[in-house]
Amino acid sequence: MTEDKINSNESEGAFNEFIQDTIEDLLNDIINRGGLDRFGDKGTDIIIEMDDIVPPTFIYDDGSGFGPGRGKKPGREGEKIRFNLPFKSFMELLAEKLNLPNLTKEGKGKIKQISYTFKTFGPTGVILDKKRTFKRALKTSVWTGLYNPDAAKYTVLIRRRDKRFKLPKREEKPKYHAVVFYMGDISYSTFGERLELEKRIVNFIHHWIDFNYGPENVEHRFFVHDVEAYEVNPEDFYNINNAGGTIAASVFDLINKIAFNEYVVPATNFYAFYFGDGELFGNDAQDILKIIDTGLRPICNRIGVVEVKPSTESHLKRALNDRFYNDSIIRVCDIQNRDQTVNVIKTLFGESNAEHKK
Amino acid sequence: MLSIKSDPRIYELYQRVLHHAKTFGRHFPEIRFFILDGLEFASLLEKNVYPASPLNIWEGKRMVNKKRRIETGAESSLYYEVVQTGNPAYAYLNKFNTPMTQASVMAHVVGHCEFSELNILKDSSRDRSEYVMFLVRKVDLSRNQMGEYHYLNYWNACESAVDLIAPNSQFNLERSLDTETLMSYKVEETSENKVKTTKSLMPFSSTLSFMITSKTKTDVFKEEVNKKRRQENLSRVGYTLKAPCQDVFNFLRNYAPTSKGEKAIMDYLYTTHYPQDFVLRTQIMNEGWAMYWEKKIMLELFKEKSVKGIIEYAKIFSGVCYPRPYFYRNPYHLGYNLWNHIEQLYKDGKVTLEYQEEKDIEKKEYWKKETGINPIKAMEHLIETITDYEFLRRFLSHDLIHELHLNRIDKRYAEYLRIPEKNIVDADKNWVWLDPVLVKTDMLNFFTHFGRPRIFVIDTNFMDGGLLLYHRDDNRELRKDWIKPTLQNINIIWKNSVHIISKGMLYSFSGGKYSETNIRPVSFEEITERMQKNQKPFRVE
Repeated sequence: MTEDKINSNESEGAFNEFIQDTIEDLLNDIINRGGLDRFGDKGTDIIIEMDDIVPPTFIYDDGSGFGPGRGKKPGREGEKIRFNLPFKSFMELLAEKLNLPNLTKEGKGKIKQISYTFKTFGPTGVILDKKRTFKRALKTSVWTGLYNPDAAKYTVLIRRRDKRFKLPKREEKPKYHAVVFYMGDISYSTFGERLELEKRIVNFIHHWIDFNYGPENVEHRFFVHDVEAYEVNPEDFYNINNAGGTIAASVFDLINKIAFNEYVVPATNFYAFYFGDGELFGNDAQDILKIIDTGLRPICNRIGVVEVKPSTESHLKRALNDRFYNDSIIRVCDIQNRDQTVNVIKTLFGESNAEHKK
Repeated sequence: MLSIKSDPRIYELYQRVLHHAKTFGRHFPEIRFFILDGLEFASLLEKNVYPASPLNIWEGKRMVNKKRRIETGAESSLYYEVVQTGNPAYAYLNKFNTPMTQASVMAHVVGHCEFSELNILKDSSRDRSEYVMFLVRKVDLSRNQMGEYHYLNYWNACESAVDLIAPNSQFNLERSLDTETLMSYKVEETSENKVKTTKSLMPFSSTLSFMITSKTKTDVFKEEVNKKRRQENLSRVGYTLKAPCQDVFNFLRNYAPTSKGEKAIMDYLYTTHYPQDFVLRTQIMNEGWAMYWEKKIMLELFKEKSVKGIIEYAKIFSGVCYPRPYFYRNPYHLGYNLWNHIEQLYKDGKVTLEYQEEKDIEKKEYWKKETGINPIKAMEHLIETITDYEFLRRFLSHDLIHELHLNRIDKRYAEYLRIPEKNIVDADKNWVWLDPVLVKTDMLNFFTHFGRPRIFVIDTNFMDGGLLLYHRDDNRELRKDWIKPTLQNINIIWKNSVHIISKGMLYSFSGGKYSETNIRPVSFEEITERMQKNQKPFRVE
């Protein structure tokens, strides 16, 4: 007798389907407001946390933390709902929704990844396919009468011509290798909202490039600078702070050297992203421009400069916009609050720089 | 889900509990107990304590969330008891409870089931769970007929109106509406009564009564016009609103244009949600009654050694009945203590006119007179005649509020709430005690609105077939950005324009467009008066 179970499987399924169906509508919200800084491990499901959805009703306006209405499903800021979404589906959806093209890989991935498959079989070789060999031997033994259960004969003779060997087949696939340089200015106050905004963008870049190249083919390197530049651990990237002078050109110079000295330039896809508050002094902006123009631009697939909550329009942004207006590789933008996350992503990875400019 | 018979130990306890309950003279319907595991319990709660429910994303959402919370340890999957009262009643036990807890749950359930049978609101109904299961099946069939998209859309729309269920309001459907059947029934009833009263109570004199109640010609004309209008309305839509109707969902269920499938969804949602109104109105009495009998039965079980663990039980009991400030509403604590207090009052003969009229305070304090009233019978009579409001108004004295710590709150919390000094009657270094008079008033006020906006249907032909709702002003405003989506959803049910009046504003959703219009504020009393006179309750000037 089977035990009756009380469960809500059907309704849970319907909710999951509903989330799948409406995820596109929710995507902007997920990116802008969802917990993108809590991405799962590489390639695993991501857990999306967002404002709860509840049916709208007539309720009192007593500041109990209820969020704005959204058609038939207003959100409630006080509570959160969490659900899983496969990493790949999320990224595919994101690319489609934000109209993000695949990252350029042609011409850069010269290294071939070689592998062997054993799909063909032959009479000679090293690795014996026991199953196929036995099958052939059995057939021959039945045919020759050596194996006949009716006559109580059970001999299976394996002759040389019955033997079958697995034959390796060489397969070549282009292997892409990408290196992402994250550069941060530690002289500006990266804490609170600034830190959170920077983390969100860095996290997105990290996962977007992993998704395009495969996580195992991407190297993420983190650099910070004040008047000097040095490489740090990913955790320290957000934690180091130093009040004092700043020379941003030092970090651009450092990654330029690293790119040429540590990697096979034609076989590597380089990406470089700079985060700062836009406050540069002296000839810093001009020096950066020179390094980008002569060193980084020819070898990088994308260079992004993101100014996080800048107080005024910076020299660097102006200089880059003047020199690289509507450039396919250099992308410059600023972010003031979470709601602009989508726009920053579009600017950094979208088709054309110009279409996202105001 | 396992039958209680699958566990011989629990089944034996079940029989002992029923035996003691009957020995105490309890009357309750057949109770069917089942044993569930943690997740089944969680699921059952999301289904409004019925073993099945139609597919809906809201239940799915809550369960997905709940499972995650249970997995991460943010929520316990241990629920002690859940009961669906009715005849028969279905009660569910948690598989992981100890035998002692199972016994206490069963004893508690007995109290609930009896209360459900006795209470004035007539909560118990025959085969309620079975009827819901039938409705679930009906809704499932409707889903196939309606198509997934329309089904989910309509269900979501209904969810917006589920809070507008008020079957026990003084403005419920029965009292607010005249229908063709109801009218003809009433006419017959009145004429019969008239004959009876005139015969038995007063001598009849047509001349005299004509002189006393003589009507002018205009009155007679007006009355005739009103009657005609009402009849016309009745013959057109089958009903006429004679007063504001607070049972909005029930009104929509009966009179909104619906397909069979849509009607099935509304029937299901109404049937599974309307008992919540009963719970709100009787929770203190109900939980108190259940605790009262639970304790009595449990003491018997401990005495006969059917269960062990009296200290553990005492711990659980005191945890459940821990005094909380009045605004947290711990119905177990308040209800249990009030019932004990009332029992004592009856034993001492204090619920008498003689006691009330006694002027000597000292005499009153030491009052003890045999009245011949059986306290338990008197308590049962209270259940049969009153709800929480009257229960508190009559028996919750100011001294008792103080004694039960209902007015005691944490000092820091009181500072945080900025409670004025004049409202505080006592304080020590940890606690402050509020004025019991204010506490009682606040507790009683809760029963006028239950912490929710009071919404009424006042016109069903507003601006050519539109539904006009009215928010009765209690000095609080409706959340504005939720008005539009809610009206939009009610519009899906009513299938015509929907409007709501709230604090001098008319919010409308008509033809897919939403609008807000400033209007002259109109009071609930004005609306009621106009409806009684069979006039339009509200017109846009």
